[in-house]
Amino acid sequence: MLVYGIKRLGVALAIVVAAMIVLFIMIYVIPGDPVTVALGPRATPQMIESFRARMGLDQPLVVQLYNFFANVLQGDLGRDVLSNRSVSLVIMEQLPFTLALIAGAMTWSILIGIPLGCYAAIRQGTWIDHLMGVLSVSTIAIPSFVVAIYSMLAFSVKLGWFPAIGAGDRGDILDQLHHLVLPSLAAGLGWVGYIARMVRASMLEVMGENHIKMARAFGLPERMITFRYALKLAILPTLTLLGIGIGSMLSSAVFAEIVFSRPGIGKLVYDSVIVRNFPIVTGTVLVTTVFYVLATLFTDLLVATLDPRVRQSLR
Amino acid sequence: MIGRLTRRQLLALTAAGTTAMTFGSRLAFAQTGKTLRTRAYSDIQILDPAYRLAQPEGDVMEAIYTRLISFKPGDSWGWELDGAEKIEQTSPTTVDFTLKPGIMFTNGFGEMTAEDVKFSYERIADPKTESPYKDDWANLDHVEVKDKYSGTIVLKKPFAPLWSSTLPSGSGAIMSKAAVTKAGGRFEASPPATSGPYTIKEWQPKQRLVLVPSPDWKGEKPAFDEIVIMPIDDEKAAELGFQAGEIDFTSTSVSAIPNYLKSPPANAKFVRKPSLAYVWMGMNQDNPALSDQKVRRAIQHAIDVPAVLEAAYFGAAEPSTGIVAPGLIGHREKNLYSYDPEKAKELLKEAGKEGGMELTLSVLNKQEFVNAAQAVQAQLPEVGITVTIQQYDSGTFWVLGDEKTGTTWKDIQLIIGRFSMQPDPSFATAWFTPEQIGVWNWERFNSPEFGELHVAALSETDDAKRDVMYKKMQDLMEESGDYVFLTHEAVGTLASDKINAAIRPDGIALLSKFTAN
Repeated sequence: MLVYGIKRLGVALAIVVAAMIVLFIMIYVIPGDPVTVALGPRATPQMIESFRARMGLDQPLVVQLYNFFANVLQGDLGRDVLSNRSVSLVIMEQLPFTLALIAGAMTWSILIGIPLGCYAAIRQGTWIDHLMGVLSVSTIAIPSFVVAIYSMLAFSVKLGWFPAIGAGDRGDILDQLHHLVLPSLAAGLGWVGYIARMVRASMLEVMGENHIKMARAFGLPERMITFRYALKLAILPTLTLLGIGIGSMLSSAVFAEIVFSRPGIGKLVYDSVIVRNFPIVTGTVLVTTVFYVLATLFTDLLVATLDPRVRQSLR
Repeated sequence: MIGRLTRRQLLALTAAGTTAMTFGSRLAFAQTGKTLRTRAYSDIQILDPAYRLAQPEGDVMEAIYTRLISFKPGDSWGWELDGAEKIEQTSPTTVDFTLKPGIMFTNGFGEMTAEDVKFSYERIADPKTESPYKDDWANLDHVEVKDKYSGTIVLKKPFAPLWSSTLPSGSGAIMSKAAVTKAGGRFEASPPATSGPYTIKEWQPKQRLVLVPSPDWKGEKPAFDEIVIMPIDDEKAAELGFQAGEIDFTSTSVSAIPNYLKSPPANAKFVRKPSLAYVWMGMNQDNPALSDQKVRRAIQHAIDVPAVLEAAYFGAAEPSTGIVAPGLIGHREKNLYSYDPEKAKELLKEAGKEGGMELTLSVLNKQEFVNAAQAVQAQLPEVGITVTIQQYDSGTFWVLGDEKTGTTWKDIQLIIGRFSMQPDPSFATAWFTPEQIGVWNWERFNSPEFGELHVAALSETDDAKRDVMYKKMQDLMEESGDYVFLTHEAVGTLASDKINAAIRPDGIALLSKFTAN
């Protein structure tokens, strides 16, 4: 198990380094100049040169890459081209909003997806199962920005139940939760379908296993068999899916943050790419890559811990 | 006594919680009192007037800093006294001013004096400051301090934009010399001291900036207990936020203007103002395909501008006659060349292009520009020109014609551009001088006469003479064949009927002058 953990950690580190190298090459290749954006149209050539040198943007790609990693190892992600604020600080200000959004999205997808999947498995082949199948595929097919816009129109503009913009007052948890409802629904609804289908498939597989048949033979109640024995095993592949889903939800978060004008990492990186604010882009991608890699690593280790079959295979 | 939570109890608690969250929050909205919630199209980055980046920062600076004079709200351009008790142009190169006594800087930096005026203006003009706004004070020689409150702005030569754009804008903001010096000579988003009716209570980046009445303000009591400025870059999202009752004031998308004119939202006032911005289709005269002036002139005749605007702005924007907007000195009443496809065909024949030609049209990937490009693409085949549209994101688009960042300046042929400006014609003409070729003059329009007129008009203080000069400059632009002037667009603003919005003639909000109904 320890060796497995160390191996996975090594792979995770390699993924982060590779992602950053690819990002740096992309940044270097695409047209656009952060200095023009930062200084505006009235900047003189002297100002531009001086600014470029100060930000290290006049250095070759390899030197910029080396400097970036050297600084990262010292905990320094650089300075925002526009505001000259610390990139770490800028990211840390935005990260909690995105984490809350992802947590909310996960909650929606788990709360709706798992019961849907279970129910469809129990009622396999009935019209309810077919209806669940249609619903699952529908939630997967509807893009999150469409959910965001229509939920805003319905629940904010028309009914006035939930706020349309922002993330709520700082220090007021209820207000923040209130502001979180629609964006998290928009980011998480697509995953309801994935989870429901995964749970249904796993449940059907587990329900056919011998220990479930034996439980039935002993006359245990169907509800106890489903939730206490079958779901416990069927949920394990879903954990892996959720780990992968965090990466996808980061993408959905961009749309939710833009539509609902919420602060967050997604909107931060989107705005930064538009204005070629490269230190923010690299810092944000580094943090999100690390976050994603850690999330998948954690779920893999969790599955390995919980599932005796996986544990056995690692020996 | 605490038993296990039953499913029924859990459902009841969830329902109660949801109700409390929904209606509790509504109660909170109703209890906000005199709070003005307004939208900015981007978050603030820098509140140092010498390094400000965009209009949202200008909006905040208008409320937190004092200038000698400030813009007047209304439909025509003008100024009114702000920090100055009196101010007078005593000669073409001198302006005497006297500050109102008792204007206090926050954070214990004391009373505003003429020394602070000197520091603020000379700081922006000083090349060592490397302020992108140094041209606002390009002709400043020095500020002479006479006593605690009065002094004289001494110019090297007359500078016409001084009253219309420099003094009432961010470049005219008076900063505390002691505070800025203590902050190390410059600052970003946290001003070391403010002097306006409002001051900053808190800034939550990308979320909100909250202004509250300044405790050191001795003037008329500010109208609002709080001004909450929310950065919402998408205009449509802001419009929805307004309709949901979460914003009291916002600008709207141009395309939404016709609808709002017909049916404004309930309990709201919709105002349409002409914008100062100018949109044009340019032609790169150094590109081989467009080097013949007859070809460029043919394209000028082949574009039906009202039809292009109908496609791009759905009737919300009027055609323009140049780059200087109506209401400003130098605005032309009409164009030199009009829509005439037959004339266009004739000119193309003279240029030896009767067999047709292919051109590219580069645009920013904003809906109105793409729509305009598609209209041009639909019109030009009538005279035998096939157009391919190339869309770019803003980061790529705004360096297309820049010689220093690549070679795309050679390849661009037709472009649709949009520049915003301050209320002085020199802000429009500044980008089309020969010195700007390869910087912002992407058409590579090369008229030494235009350049000389631009410089001369900056120092001309007779408005009638300036008017003639700027009209001539736009004639030169059009005669070159490099430009098809499209529109100045329009600005729509939505304001809750609970407030009286103070808006400049170009639709820019003057937050410190908003009042509550």
